[in-house]
Amino acid sequence: MAGAHAVEHDYHLVPPSPWPFLSGVACLVWGLGMVVFFTGLVDRNPASPDVMTEFFFARGLDTIQGRDASNGGWIILLLGSLFAAYVMYRWWRDVAKESVQGDHTPVVDIGLRYGMILFIMQEVMFFVGWFWMFFEIGLFHKVRTGWNTDILENAEGYGNWPPPDVTTIDPWHLPLMNTLVLLLSGTTVTWAHHALINGNRKGAKWGLGLTILLGIFFTLLQGIEYVHAFDYREDGAFWLSTNVYGSAFFLATGFHGLHVVIGTIFLLAIWLRLMNGGLKPEKHFGLEAAAWYWHFVDVVWLFLFAFVYVVFQ
Amino acid sequence: MVAVYGDDHVDSGRPGFFTRWFYSTNHKDIGTLYLVFAIISGLIGGYLSLMMRLELAEPGVQIFESEHQYNVFISMHGLIMIFFMVMPALIGGFGNWFVPIMIGAPDMAFPRMNNLSFWLLPVALVCLLISFFVQGDASGNGFGGGWVMYPPLSTSGSPGPAFDFVIIGLLAAGFSSIFGAINFITTILNMRAPGMTMHKMPLFAWGVLVTAFLLLLALPVLAASLFMLFTDRIPGGTGFFDPAMGGDPVMFQHLFWFFGHPEVYIMILPAFGIISHVVSTFSRKPIFGYLGMAYAMVAIGVVGFIVWAHHMYTVGMNVNLKAYFMAATLVIAVPTGIKIFSWLATMWGGSIRFTIPMLWAQAFIFLFVIGGVTGVVLANAGVDSALHDTYYVVAHFHYVLSMGAVFGIFCGFYYWFGKMSGLQYNKWLATIHFWFSFVGVNLIFFPQHFLGMQGMPRRYIDYPDAFSLWNKVSSYGSYVTLIGTLFFFVMLIEAYISRRRVSDNYWGEGATTLEWTLSSPPPFHQFDTLPRIGRDDHH
Amino acid sequence: MHLPKIASSTAVTGLTGSMSAAARAAEPVDGGIGFQEAVTPVMEKLTWFHNWMLMPIITGIVLLVLALIIYIMVRFNEKANPQPSKTSHNTLIEVIWTVIPVIILLVMIVPSMRLLYFQDALPETEMTIKATGNTWNWEYSYIDHENIDSFVSSMLEERTDAEAEGKPYLLGTDFPLVVPSGTRVKVLVTSNNNLHSFAVPAFGIKIDAIPGRINETWFEVFEGREGTYYGQCSELCGVRHAYMPIEIRVVTRDAFADWVANDGAFTTTVATNTSGGQTAAQQ
Ligand code: HEA
Ligand code: HEA
Ligand code: CUA
Ligand SMILES: [Cu+2]
Repeated sequence: MAGAHAVEHDYHLVPPSPWPFLSGVACLVWGLGMVVFFTGLVDRNPASPDVMTEFFFARGLDTIQGRDASNGGWIILLLGSLFAAYVMYRWWRDVAKESVQGDHTPVVDIGLRYGMILFIMQEVMFFVGWFWMFFEIGLFHKVRTGWNTDILENAEGYGNWPPPDVTTIDPWHLPLMNTLVLLLSGTTVTWAHHALINGNRKGAKWGLGLTILLGIFFTLLQGIEYVHAFDYREDGAFWLSTNVYGSAFFLATGFHGLHVVIGTIFLLAIWLRLMNGGLKPEKHFGLEAAAWYWHFVDVVWLFLFAFVYVVFQ
Repeated sequence: MVAVYGDDHVDSGRPGFFTRWFYSTNHKDIGTLYLVFAIISGLIGGYLSLMMRLELAEPGVQIFESEHQYNVFISMHGLIMIFFMVMPALIGGFGNWFVPIMIGAPDMAFPRMNNLSFWLLPVALVCLLISFFVQGDASGNGFGGGWVMYPPLSTSGSPGPAFDFVIIGLLAAGFSSIFGAINFITTILNMRAPGMTMHKMPLFAWGVLVTAFLLLLALPVLAASLFMLFTDRIPGGTGFFDPAMGGDPVMFQHLFWFFGHPEVYIMILPAFGIISHVVSTFSRKPIFGYLGMAYAMVAIGVVGFIVWAHHMYTVGMNVNLKAYFMAATLVIAVPTGIKIFSWLATMWGGSIRFTIPMLWAQAFIFLFVIGGVTGVVLANAGVDSALHDTYYVVAHFHYVLSMGAVFGIFCGFYYWFGKMSGLQYNKWLATIHFWFSFVGVNLIFFPQHFLGMQGMPRRYIDYPDAFSLWNKVSSYGSYVTLIGTLFFFVMLIEAYISRRRVSDNYWGEGATTLEWTLSSPPPFHQFDTLPRIGRDDHH
Repeated sequence: MHLPKIASSTAVTGLTGSMSAAARAAEPVDGGIGFQEAVTPVMEKLTWFHNWMLMPIITGIVLLVLALIIYIMVRFNEKANPQPSKTSHNTLIEVIWTVIPVIILLVMIVPSMRLLYFQDALPETEMTIKATGNTWNWEYSYIDHENIDSFVSSMLEERTDAEAEGKPYLLGTDFPLVVPSGTRVKVLVTSNNNLHSFAVPAFGIKIDAIPGRINETWFEVFEGREGTYYGQCSELCGVRHAYMPIEIRVVTRDAFADWVANDGAFTTTVATNTSGGQTAAQQ
């Protein structure tokens, strides 16, 4: 955007872009989908069976759980998500292009680093919220039961953690495997990074590719674990609605799982750039950012493994 | 409010209307969008509060169709004023406009993400507005669980989709602020002009920096707890806050206030920054005790994270915990006092001009102290058992919000209006706006201390006859404030019709920060050549 | 145990005007600006601490700041002081305005902590009452008096009903909680659904009713201060949050013993309610 004056600084003045605005629109569609799908716009009135009513006013969950309703909220949700995915793709593509064009001068590069670190700090606080919840219900219920046990009707349920009727998942099977998978992926991503720095593009591709595969493998294993817990929920195992232990377990590990998926996509995007000849030995912040993010996901898992699976089993 | 750009820059590659306002990557345009958005939200929030005051003018239920509707109004009033008026105005609006300029940067670090931060807000507001019109609980539309959204009222107590929309809206607003925070911190740490060391940086930039850190660290915890509410509300979902499943409603309060208390400082620290500039400008003196001022804000921010449970003295906490939270809370009075006294010392020995922004600044200092000291009263856990959830609390927080934060906003608005628009406001209209607002808000909120002392609980649509008098006074106050706010709009319209132009540095000597070196309004892109800050230049 | 009355709260709150009516009970007064009159040791200490510690301190600070602002406006305006000084540092004064607030806070925190621990450390109590918050009324049970059935206390819906019984509308209930004076009463508070809060201003108590938890607090009404006291639900609990008041009838120990012997019948001797001779639960 050269104006009347010559620009004499190294900052990156971005030209106008439709993606932020369209992200907002996508977010609105997605939000509408979330509400229509999970709640429906009002409590359903069975006396009004026309299609529009069913679409907007039934609960989407009823559809899934085979109850008599045909909410299409998932369509809105899907549209919103696809729209968002498309916008993100275009946005990131623009960033990659600008990087190639040389817009990312050293000072901009430092800015990107700050941005990524701060974003990860934000993510850390998000998980602080989940761990806070986990520790609070894990540690303090016993304390609370100490008061007025004679009156508190559900003292039993409170006093034990995890609750007595829950069979927890054995940490030394799938979860241990998952830990090893993630640790291994931490090494492969470092391998990729060092290979790239040393000009060994082939090694970088392999390292990154393996990391992605390990990420997918992790997600698969966790899926198996969930199905396992879910399938046996009637006899001894648990699900998120069984009791607060189930809620804590599934939401904490679930949000971690979501971040694994995000991290995997991030790595995949970088891998594609690598395959297309992008990223230089001396300038490859995209890869570093993805690696930082991946390490963060890794560390969160270690905490989950230590506390959710091992300590409070 | 459409900013007019200096004539000599008309064709400096400025995009067309749609591209300019929807696809913007220009910090000043985005700042303008934020300000317009804040004004619209202020109107909505003010309308809601006017209805509440009309209802409370007399005992009995007169305005509202149902009690539920009243609860909806207070909840949305609180949420809209906080998330959609104060935060967008102070951080998004003035922050975007002036932080880059003050530190000598051509724009924000991530201009596109900046626009995303803005566009998430209308989305969020639309979600909140939708919630008015869909079912909340059995008795009506809208969410009526208070801005603090405590379960079980917000889970099993509000089964309809209204609160789901509120959750989605707040998540969007939250992510907007998180992205904004990342942007501000990066900009301030990475894009200061040569010679602009941290210890030379203007106090408004300091205020926004500390605020951004509070946002970055507090909002994700709110996001986590909102997700917990969301899944708790799904039938067959989780039970974090449901005692029948072993969960605990009080846990939500801890999570919420871990965010909620830093949030109140998020709303006041940028205002502190604005007041510092205005006081210094119109005293024609540098800020007194600059370093103390900057680090007092840092201290307030840090201590602000460890005092949250002073909102929960009556939930049945262990007494030693209460004692701890009380002591920690009281500590905040010390750095805040440093700020108050440093402003006074800045004026001391000065050559003061009573311009419009200076009036707001003086009123801010005095009224914020009133609100602050009632906060100190509330911090005493023993006394709080008489005052918690009474109108005393309402009085406290409106003194720091409706007079602290809002006076800070108007102060900044009048200070920078000419810089942003290039236009001169009518002094008399502005004076009327100030005095009506000043008298009005005091009439509204001072008597509420008395109501609280006498024991009137908050969030009551109806009250015993014994609370009539002060409620009536309070309602009259809100009409006076309304008139004042009308004059604000008259002032705006008049300024745009008359189009009196202002000079680059229309405040003259005393206005020393970098924005006064630029034209009014500044060029579309400022600082193509970065300014250099000399060793002896002061802030 | 009768604590010395440290200060008469009416004297302090001066403008509160007339003491409330015959029963010497405390109620909110129109135009009142202070606390309701204290009838328990906790509230008495609280009132003292607020009126004689906090109020002077905060009034002093506000007046000091106001005085400084006015002085500055007069002395240092453009006309009076055309040439501004350039002073921007003075270590001594900065230390002073840091240290003095610290000292004020230290002075404040000592009695504040004492009040807090006095309030919170549950002394030996002589009887226990359980108050359960429902949507939207209170249910009371007398834990130590098994012959008294637990009963529900609801607001008198119509203004005329309340006036007929001489109770303030929106505060009066059909069946008040009855307690003896000069007796330490423990209150257990819980809730069946939403949050509520059990608050009685004249007693200085306010404790949240939370489902799944039992909170406790205590009070002891001074002998000689028998009468009717009112409180209101103080935590947003939904639609009828404003309509679940608390009415407490404090009677002498003898009258209370009679009432208990009567299986908690609401006769005219204790209750102004005219439901004559039946226990609340039987209705
Ligand atoms: C901008 C917003 C803002 C600000 C700045 C503050 C500032 C403070 N607040 Fe406030 N507060 C709110 C917004 C704010 N608050 C809101 C919104 C609520 C209600 C939420 C809800 O429930 O809905 C609330 C509620 C609230 C409570 C809970 C009350 C209850 O629900 O029972 C408490 C209790 O401790 C409290 C305390 C304080 C204190 C100690 C300060 C201190 O930071 C004040 C410090 C300032 C001074 C003290 C004045 C200047 C100092 C001097 C001149 C020095 C000398 C002074 C002394 C030595 C005392 N606040
Ligand atoms: C910033 C926050 C803010 C502001 C400004 C206000 C302003 C006002 N509030 Fe607000 N209020 C809250 C935050 C705020 N309030 C919160 C958090 C609650 C608690 C909710 C709950 O219980 O859950 C509450 C509750 C509350 C109650 C208690 C309800 C109850 O408990 O039953 C009452 C009652 O009188 C009330 C009245 C008013 C009035 C008359 C104003 C008037 O001052 C309004 C006049 C209007 C303005 C002063 C705004 C003008 C501003 C603009 C037009 C924008 C300008 C922008 C730019 C220049 C960029 N409010
Ligand atoms: Cu019960 Cu409010
Ligand atoms: Cu607070």
